[in-house]
Amino acid sequence: MIRFLRRLARRPLTILGLLLVGGHLLVAAIAPWITPHDPLRLLDAPLEPPTAIFWLGTDELGRDFFSRLLLGGQISIVAAASAGLIAAIGGGILGLATAYHRGLFDDVVSRLVEMKLSIPSILLVSLFVTGFGQSLGVLIVVMSLIYMMGVIRTSRAMGISLMEQGYVKAAKLRGESATTIVLREMLPNIADLLTVEFALRTSSALLLVSALSFLGLGVSPPTPDWGLMIQSGLQSIRSEPWLILAPALCISTLVIGINFATEGVADLLGLEAARGATGH
Amino acid sequence: MLIAIARRILLSLLTLLMLATFIFVATEIMPGDALDVSLSADELSMIPPERLAQMKRDLGLDRPPHERFGAFIAGIVQLDFGRTLISKTPVWTIVGYPMRNSLILAGAVLVLAFPLALAIGVTAAVWRGRTVDNVVSTGAVIGYSIPEFVIGTLLVMAFAVAWPIFPATITALTRDPAATLLAASPLAVATVLIGSIAYLARLVRTGMVDALASDFVERLRLTGIPEWRIVFVHALPAAIIPSLTAAALYAAALVSGIVVVELVFAYPGLGQELVRGVTRREVHVVQAIALCSATIVVALNLLADLAILALDPRTRRA
Amino acid sequence: MSDITRRRLLQGSAGAALLTALDTELLGDAAAQEQPKRGGALVYAQLSANRRAGGPSNHKHPYFTVDANTKPIWSTPSWVNPDLGWELEVATKIEQADDKLNVWDMTLREGVMFHDMTEMTAADAVASFDYHRQNAPFARQIVKVEAAGRHSVRFTLDAGNSEFPYVLAEYNSPIMKAGPLETIGLDGIGTGPFRIVSSDPNRSMILERFEHYWRRGFPYLDRIEIHNREGQQESALNGLRAGQFDAVLNIDGRAATQFENNPNFAIEGAKGGYSFVIQLPKHPGSPFLDKRVRQAFAFAIDREAIVRVAYSGRFGWVGNDSHLMITDPSFVPRPGGRDVARARRLLAEAGHPNGINLGTLYWSPQLPEAGRYFQVLQQSVRDAGITLALEERPNDGYIQFRTGDNDLTRGNFHKFAMTAVGSRNPGISMFRMRGAFVESGHWRGPEHDRYLALYQRAMVTADAAARRTIYAEMQSILHEEVPAVLPAGGDTLLVRRRHMRDMPYHPQIWSIRFEQIWRA
Repeated sequence: MIRFLRRLARRPLTILGLLLVGGHLLVAAIAPWITPHDPLRLLDAPLEPPTAIFWLGTDELGRDFFSRLLLGGQISIVAAASAGLIAAIGGGILGLATAYHRGLFDDVVSRLVEMKLSIPSILLVSLFVTGFGQSLGVLIVVMSLIYMMGVIRTSRAMGISLMEQGYVKAAKLRGESATTIVLREMLPNIADLLTVEFALRTSSALLLVSALSFLGLGVSPPTPDWGLMIQSGLQSIRSEPWLILAPALCISTLVIGINFATEGVADLLGLEAARGATGH
Repeated sequence: MLIAIARRILLSLLTLLMLATFIFVATEIMPGDALDVSLSADELSMIPPERLAQMKRDLGLDRPPHERFGAFIAGIVQLDFGRTLISKTPVWTIVGYPMRNSLILAGAVLVLAFPLALAIGVTAAVWRGRTVDNVVSTGAVIGYSIPEFVIGTLLVMAFAVAWPIFPATITALTRDPAATLLAASPLAVATVLIGSIAYLARLVRTGMVDALASDFVERLRLTGIPEWRIVFVHALPAAIIPSLTAAALYAAALVSGIVVVELVFAYPGLGQELVRGVTRREVHVVQAIALCSATIVVALNLLADLAILALDPRTRRA
Repeated sequence: MSDITRRRLLQGSAGAALLTALDTELLGDAAAQEQPKRGGALVYAQLSANRRAGGPSNHKHPYFTVDANTKPIWSTPSWVNPDLGWELEVATKIEQADDKLNVWDMTLREGVMFHDMTEMTAADAVASFDYHRQNAPFARQIVKVEAAGRHSVRFTLDAGNSEFPYVLAEYNSPIMKAGPLETIGLDGIGTGPFRIVSSDPNRSMILERFEHYWRRGFPYLDRIEIHNREGQQESALNGLRAGQFDAVLNIDGRAATQFENNPNFAIEGAKGGYSFVIQLPKHPGSPFLDKRVRQAFAFAIDREAIVRVAYSGRFGWVGNDSHLMITDPSFVPRPGGRDVARARRLLAEAGHPNGINLGTLYWSPQLPEAGRYFQVLQQSVRDAGITLALEERPNDGYIQFRTGDNDLTRGNFHKFAMTAVGSRNPGISMFRMRGAFVESGHWRGPEHDRYLALYQRAMVTADAAARRTIYAEMQSILHEEVPAVLPAGGDTLLVRRRHMRDMPYHPQIWSIRFEQIWRA
C-alpha cells in the first residue's frame, strides 16, 4: 500500500484526476445542502449578469445559474455510474462464463458482442428511448447493455488465461459447479480489471448521457443538467457565453478526471485494460 | 489462408444476420401502429375503415410478425429497404444521399486523422517519457474526454462568432457534390477530427511503445541498424496491426460522433434522417439507417481482420 | 426600438406610448423613399417552418414545402392584409350568391400564367379546391366546387359563412395546376412570383424569379433561398452574423433585443402574430374531464411571467384561452387574472386537496421561445399544487404525434400537448374550438353546443358589429368552460440585414409579400 502510494505520488496527472473525480463526487453528493438558491425557482429576472448574490447570474428563465451548475452533474453521474456498474459486473460474469464454457455458448455471446459493438451507441439508445419513452431507467438499461459488450470482451480474454491457473483446475477436480467456479474462484481475480472497466464505461456513459441531453433525448427539463444547460445556453452564445462555458468545463473536467485517474491507477496495477479501451 | 478468409467473411455475414434480426425485433416492439402515429387525427377521421384496412394491407402491417420478418430479410438481400409508410417513397431515395454525405464526412475525417494520428503517435512513442510524449498523451486524454457537441460549440464560438472566418451553420444542399459539402463544413470536420486524432494517436503510441520495447527490436538494435530504420521499417508495421482492430471498432464511435455533430451544424447527413425517422416512426427508414451504418462498421472490421491476416503470418492458421 | 413597423405599434396595446418616438425615426429612414432595385437574392432562415414538411415524393406540394409560406410559389384567390382584412388576389370577385351565405361565386383574373406557361382557368381552381376540401381543415366546409365558366367558380358550403373569403386566403388554399386528386400539386407548379428550382425535403428550397407573374413589374428579386433552422435559432443567428443569411424569420423577443441596436440589422415586427394552444384531452379517465381542474389550471398559470420571460415583456401579450389574438377587435380579456388561491380551491372541490399531477405536457420547438414558455408555465402552476412533466418532441411529425387517434373507442387519444396558433379572422379562429377539432380536446356538452350554435349564428350574420357581440358571448363560454388553454402569445418578428428592403413582417407569418422585397 505504502509502495503504491509512493508510486502514485510520482504521477501528478493521476493525482489531478483523482482530485477532479473526488471533487465532482463531493459536490454532487452535498449539492442539495450547499446550493445558495432554489435551482427551480424563477427569480423574475432572466439573464442577469453575475453578482455577489447570484455568483454566475441567472439563466434564460431567471433561475440561479450557480445552484443549477452545482446540481447539474447529479443525474448524469448516477445514470452513468449505474450503467457502468451493471456493465462491469454483468459483463465480468458473462465474460468469465463464456471463457469457462467456450463452445457454442461462447460463439453465440461473441457474435452478440460483435453485433452490439457495430451499432453506434447513439443509434441504439435513440431507438429504445423512442420505443419505450424517455426515462432514466430505460437509458440506464440500454447503456448497461451497450457497455457490457465491451466488458465481456476483455473479461473473456482474462478468463481464458485464468482457466489455465492451478486453482481453477483444482476447483474443477473438486467437482465444484461452474457457477461456483466462475463466481467464487475467477471473479475475485478480475476485480482489479473490473474496477478499471467500471471507471472507463462510466466515463463513456457520461459522454453519452450528456450528448443525449443535449439532443433532448436524455435528462428532461427543468432538472438541472450540464448537457441541457449547454443546449439552452446556446441562445446566448454571444451575450452570456459563461452559460455555455461553465457547464462545458464541468462535464469535461469530470470525464478528463476519470480518464486520468483510471489510466494512472490501471498502470500502477499493471493492467492493460486502460489502453485504447477508453473513448466513446 | 483461404479458409481463414472464408471463415472471417462467414462470421461477418452471421453478425449481419443477427443484426438484422435484432433491428427488426427492436423496431417491432415499438408501441403503437406505425400508421396510427403517422397520420393526423383529422386525416384519420376522414379515412373510411375499409380504406384504412386496405392501407394496412398494402403496407403489410396486417401480416403476422414472422412473415414480415421473412419479407424483411428477403428485401435486405435484394438491397430493397421497402417504402415509407406514409408517402410510399422508396426508403433508398430518403436515405441514399444522407448516407453518402455522412460517408463523405467520415471519409474526410479518417483521411485526415490517420496520417496525423500516425505522426503524432510515433513521435510520442519515439520520445517516450519526454515532454512531447507527456503533452501528446495528456492532450489525447483531454481530446476524447470532451463531448463532441462541446467541442463543436466551442469551435463555433471561436471561429464563427468571435472571429468569424468559418460558416457557423451548413447551408449546402443534400445533393451538392462532395467538394461543396466539405467546403461548407470546416468546423464540423474539425470537431470530429479532434476526438478521432486523440483516440487514434493514443492507439498508435501504445502500439509503437510496445513494438519498440519488443525483443525483436532489441535484437535489431544490437545489429547496428539505424534507429530511424527500426522505427519506420520494423516497428511501425508491427504497431499498426493491433491498432487496426481497435481503429475498426472505433468506426462505431465515429458514427455516433458524426450523428451528434451533424445535428449541431445542420449537416445534411444520416443524423438528421435518423432523428426524423425515429420520431416519425418511419420504421423502414430507421431499419435502413441502422443496418447500413452497422454494415459499414462490420465491413471495416472485416477489412481490418483481413489486413491483419495479410500483414501478420501468425494469424493465418487461426 | 429601431425599425419596428408602425403597424405593430398602432395595433399593439402597449405600443402607443412609443408611437411618437418611432414616427420620427420612420420619417428619418431614407430607405422608405428609395426606388426599388431589381435583381439579387434573398437567403433566409426560417425558425417556424412547415411542420408537415414532406419527403422526396411530395416536397414540392404546397402542403409539404419546407416553409409553410406558400405564397411566393402559388397564388390564392384572396389575401389577408396586415390589418387582417381580406383583399382580392388572383380572384377579381368573391361574393355570396344569396342571403344564406352558403353559396359563393368567384371570378378569376384572366391571363394568369402558371410556371409552365399554361393559363390558369376555373378548371385549375376547381381541381385545387376539390383537393383542399378533402385535406385542409378550414376548407372542409366546402361541400361542392364547380366551374361556372372559363373563369368563374361556385362554392357550396355545408352552412353559411360570412367570413368565407378568408378561407380562400389560407396557406392551404393555393391554386395548383389541375390534375387527378392523387397527384395534384406534386409538380410544384403555381402562379406565384417565384418558381421552384430545387427543393431539399425538410431542409432547403431554392426559388427563382418567374418572368410572367401576373402582377406586372414584380418580383424584384431574382432568387430566394429558404433554409429550415427550426429549433436552432442560435445557429440561424450565427449564420446571419456571418453573412450566410440575409434574414431570419420568426425570431424571438430575446434575439430581437440583441439585434435592435445593431446598425447592420433591422427588426421587423407585427403585433399579435401567434399564440400557443394547450389541448386538454377529455377522454375517459383524464383529469381534464372535470371542468374545475381545467379552470384551476387556467387560474394557476402565471401568464405575465410567460410574457416577461419568453417574450422579453414587450414582444408578448396575455391570451384569453380563445384562439383570438390580442389585436383582434373582438378579443375579450379573460376575467379574474391569475388566482392561485382560487385554483387551489377549485382543485380541492374537484377532490384534489393536495394538488394534482397532470402527467406529461408535450411541446415542440415550433417557435424559438417555446422551451422557455413551457418551463415558466410548468414552474408557475406548481404554486397551486399542479405538477406536470414536460417533454420536447421534434417538429417533424409533431402534428401526427400530438393529434394521435381521434377514435375514442380505440384507447389511443390525442395528447396533452401544445401547438402554435396563427393570427386569423375571428370566424376561422373561433371555429377551431369546435368539439370535433382536436385543439379543443374534443370538448363536448351543452355549453359546447351553445358555443357552436352561436358560431353558426355569427356565420350567417352579415353585420360585423353584431358578429362581435356574438363572439364576445362565445369567449365568455370559453372563460367558464376552459376547453383549452391559450396562456400567452407573441408578436411575429424577423431580423433582416439592412440591404433587404420593403420586407415588413405580417401578423400572419404565411402572408408576407415576397414579390415586393428588394435588395439594395
